[in-house]
Amino acid sequence: MTRKRIAITGLGIFCAAGKDIPSFSRNLRQGASAIGSMDLFDVTPFPARIGAQVRDYDPLAYFDRKTASRLSRADQFGVIAAGEALAESRVTDCYSPYDIGVSVGAGAAGMLHAEQWLKEIIAGGKGRPSLLRGILPDRTATAIASHFGLSGYQGSITTACSSSATAIGWGADLVATGRLKSVVCGGSDAISLLTYAGFNSLRVVDTEPCAPFSLGRRGISLGEGAAFFVLEDEEGATRRGARMYGYILGYAAVGEAYHMTAPEPTGAEAARVMANALDRAGVRRDDIGWVNAHGTATPLNDVVETKAMKLVFGERAGAVPLVSTKGLTGHCLGSAGAIEAVATVVSLNEGFIPQTLNFRGADPECDLDYCHEGTRESQASLALSNSFAFGGNCTSLVISL
Amino acid sequence: MSANGTEIVITGLAAITAAGVGLDPLRETVRSRVSALRPIPVEIAGGEGHLWGRAEGFRAADFMPPLKARKFDRCSLFAVVSAGMALRDAGIDSAAFGAERIGIVLGCGFGGIANSEEFLRGYFTRGGDGLVPMLFPNTVPNAPASNASIEHGLKGPNVTFVQRFCSAEAAFEMACRFLEEDRADIVLTGGADELNPFMIRAFRDMGQLRVHARGFSEGAGILVLEKGAVARRRGAAIRATVGDIRTIGRLAPGREEEGFARLIGTGKSPSLISLSGVAGEMPVLLDRLPSAPRLETSPLLGRSLAMGGTALISLILASSPGDSVAHYTASPEGPYYGIDFKRSESL
Repeated sequence: MTRKRIAITGLGIFCAAGKDIPSFSRNLRQGASAIGSMDLFDVTPFPARIGAQVRDYDPLAYFDRKTASRLSRADQFGVIAAGEALAESRVTDCYSPYDIGVSVGAGAAGMLHAEQWLKEIIAGGKGRPSLLRGILPDRTATAIASHFGLSGYQGSITTACSSSATAIGWGADLVATGRLKSVVCGGSDAISLLTYAGFNSLRVVDTEPCAPFSLGRRGISLGEGAAFFVLEDEEGATRRGARMYGYILGYAAVGEAYHMTAPEPTGAEAARVMANALDRAGVRRDDIGWVNAHGTATPLNDVVETKAMKLVFGERAGAVPLVSTKGLTGHCLGSAGAIEAVATVVSLNEGFIPQTLNFRGADPECDLDYCHEGTRESQASLALSNSFAFGGNCTSLVISL
Repeated sequence: MSANGTEIVITGLAAITAAGVGLDPLRETVRSRVSALRPIPVEIAGGEGHLWGRAEGFRAADFMPPLKARKFDRCSLFAVVSAGMALRDAGIDSAAFGAERIGIVLGCGFGGIANSEEFLRGYFTRGGDGLVPMLFPNTVPNAPASNASIEHGLKGPNVTFVQRFCSAEAAFEMACRFLEEDRADIVLTGGADELNPFMIRAFRDMGQLRVHARGFSEGAGILVLEKGAVARRRGAAIRATVGDIRTIGRLAPGREEEGFARLIGTGKSPSLISLSGVAGEMPVLLDRLPSAPRLETSPLLGRSLAMGGTALISLILASSPGDSVAHYTASPEGPYYGIDFKRSESL
């Protein structure tokens, strides 16, 4: 049976590094980091006080008051980004609502608001129940489905930092099987006190903007936002004359079965997911132009991902740039995989490889090409995007022009 | 047979429910139709007449040393223990079989919520000094499936879903797809959820204790799915064969009939239908289902977001050899699922 080719016919993004595709593309090419001061909540008790927060955000610029009050910050980001992708693809004009589904990767979701409820009841107050409305990570998928009238499928994947990469792979699968004609898939997440305090308590947050693959890196910078694709099978997209930005050629999602927070140290498990994704996509290792790394900038992650690259690409590893865009966007947790997948598609389309920002010096254990020196022109048409998560939930996507 | 011709069978079952630990108490509850729900203490519910389905019979110490149990949240304990029970029931030694060929895809609604609450409570009451780092890793909803994969060495695909009352069914659909696509030979699927007084307080504040959170419960229901050819090759007992899986995301306003037509199977009329989520409270759905005896597990075992695993196991336990049966589930704003099974001779 010939597998359908899954085309990308819509892109949308809303994050600190850009509130739509044009602004994000510009900042990605220029390497304009969005990591800075935070005012979502009081960050003074924490060692690291920065993040890639979506700033100057007024929900009423996007929603009426009633709708805005019913959606968490993460839900709002998701609806905005999905809306950009859908508007551009115009897919809703072409298919039955039962042929279009929603596949979302989620993280802390509406925890930011639920925290306020908890704080209020701990203080002896009543606690406003409306603050709990978005606490479940599935709410974003429901909000997108109902906002845009998509009735084919609703599913939310919650595998922490790999959630949205898996949601994209799964979305592609739903189209490939013929269950759906089109799917809007990606992820949304918002910074919350839980994640901010949590990662700080584990001492994996850098006090300066994160410096992936650099000497002296001390950890992540948190971020937030949403990114979505519209996917459909190539035949259908061609028939309706849709613009195609590229293809999701394949994906793999595996469990390391090693540790809840630490990656398997030899890189063998990370290499396995990358190799599986390439095999499932039917792509030769020699054809991969560059890899969008998970690249969190924690001391351990970056070394393990470097080792995995060597296991997958062998002697060619040094010739395949391993690039982290987290210095630009921060680590957006539940939406990280989708934001990085969008960054990959944008870069492939515009013919460049993004810079890994905030270089502090060469780390002897990270001895590959990380594009630290600046954005690079490229003719690459194939890239891999890695997402690794708590629990050893690893996903790799293979994306082509 | 699935859409691409892969036969998918069920070779192992495990349940931890308000009825007790294991399949026997669940089978007895389903047979007797005597509810296992118990009153929620008034000081927790804030009033009389509320029921819940806590898995009171579950003691982690029966399955692992206390020191080890302490590293897991309650939902992870359910998942770790029930995954082990399901693997044993299926006669699978993951190391001998090949860890990379065994996956786990679970539904989980409120996994991690207790740890999140405790972690934040520490911060709100004692500031930075109140943060307990060891609580944080298990605040993620994928902790139950991931902890189960770590404990049992499952290195195949590992995914967690939440989608209201269809969380376990969403996981079930993906698990089947992973087998069809040869991403794995065996996938553990179903759901795990926990319930605690803090959640009851939140449901109460939201006015949900008499609505969708009525009779809320916890526990785990895990099924071992396997390619039929693999199961036969290793001589496994086949409990049921998976048939068609149908889903819609929501009912499109003005086009509801089209949605129901996609959801409700057109094959052989089932001899038993199980209902979970809010399916049993939706006359518009119930009126359109084929005429067959119905098994609604919510009044017996309670409901949770990932209750589908337990409901599917209940359906298999309640059916007779050779029966064609169907499972329907619904969430208030979607999605909806319909899944068909054929019960095997052995159980």
